[in-house]
Amino acid sequence: MSFVQPIGTGVETSRRVVNRITVTQGHALASDDETVEFRTILGSCVSTCLFDPTARVGGMNHFLLAEPPKSSTNRDFDKDYGLFLMELLINEMFKLGASKSRMRGRLFGGANINTDLGSIGSTNAAFAREFLSREGIQCVSEDLEGRHARHVQFRPAHGQVRCQTVANNSAPKQKPRGLPKSDLGNVELF
Amino acid sequence: MTAPIRVLTVDDSASMRALLLGALTSRGFEVEQAEDGQEAFEWLASNEVDVIITDINMPRLDGFGLIEKLRDSVFHADRPILVLTTESSDDKKTRARNAGATGWIIKPFDAEKLSTALRRVTH
Repeated sequence: MSFVQPIGTGVETSRRVVNRITVTQGHALASDDETVEFRTILGSCVSTCLFDPTARVGGMNHFLLAEPPKSSTNRDFDKDYGLFLMELLINEMFKLGASKSRMRGRLFGGANINTDLGSIGSTNAAFAREFLSREGIQCVSEDLEGRHARHVQFRPAHGQVRCQTVANNSAPKQKPRGLPKSDLGNVELF
Repeated sequence: MTAPIRVLTVDDSASMRALLLGALTSRGFEVEQAEDGQEAFEWLASNEVDVIITDINMPRLDGFGLIEKLRDSVFHADRPILVLTTESSDDKKTRARNAGATGWIIKPFDAEKLSTALRRVTH
């Protein structure tokens, strides 16, 4: 299976990928290094791959849930959830010179593997689609939902993505990390 | 009954603006919103709020630039400005402080803590 064409204008793959970095749940990474490849395995989680073809900067995030559960006392913003990781991803790309107006996106994951858990995957997928639409970021392709786990590889400086289905037990069992509430949103007044 | 605290939120993310709007209006704040520093600066030329919450990374005019321009203006030299950002580096925090920011909040934010801080800086 080969990598699909880069997002946006083509960028030649001239250097070997030597740095393979796994993007685990709750993280967002960006790079303009031609030797870097981001990779992740997704069950119901969703990964967003963004690429700015002019700056040759790409980034990948990996989020567990679209939004906090209704029962949560802090329903606003948390590292387990989509909105924070989308913003983190975009900001990490800004630091490397990317522009939001040039970003193109691909979405992966959101499988509904365990039907006992309802449609968490579909909820995640819907959030990701809606986020890109609301932020004016073109979604050039998606491989979302279904019943199978996925392995995604993304070369951020080239915008090339490969997504393969893998055995469902390859996807790590993940739970909200449940950060202590005291760590969230502390205010430091100068 | 006291008048509600008027807040201007400045963020280029529509999702973040929606989140802040919901979190603050439900806690009794009156909320205005701008999409970047330039829009906020232009709006503030003819409008007034009690406190400003700004992101750092934004097109046209970023959060640092907005703070510097407001501190140079007659009307907003003393306006409380809280920075709400995913940035966590000390360099950026120092830069915000030197530009004249009133406070620094790292996302993900806690709506109750944000609300408390807003009341405190506008007291």
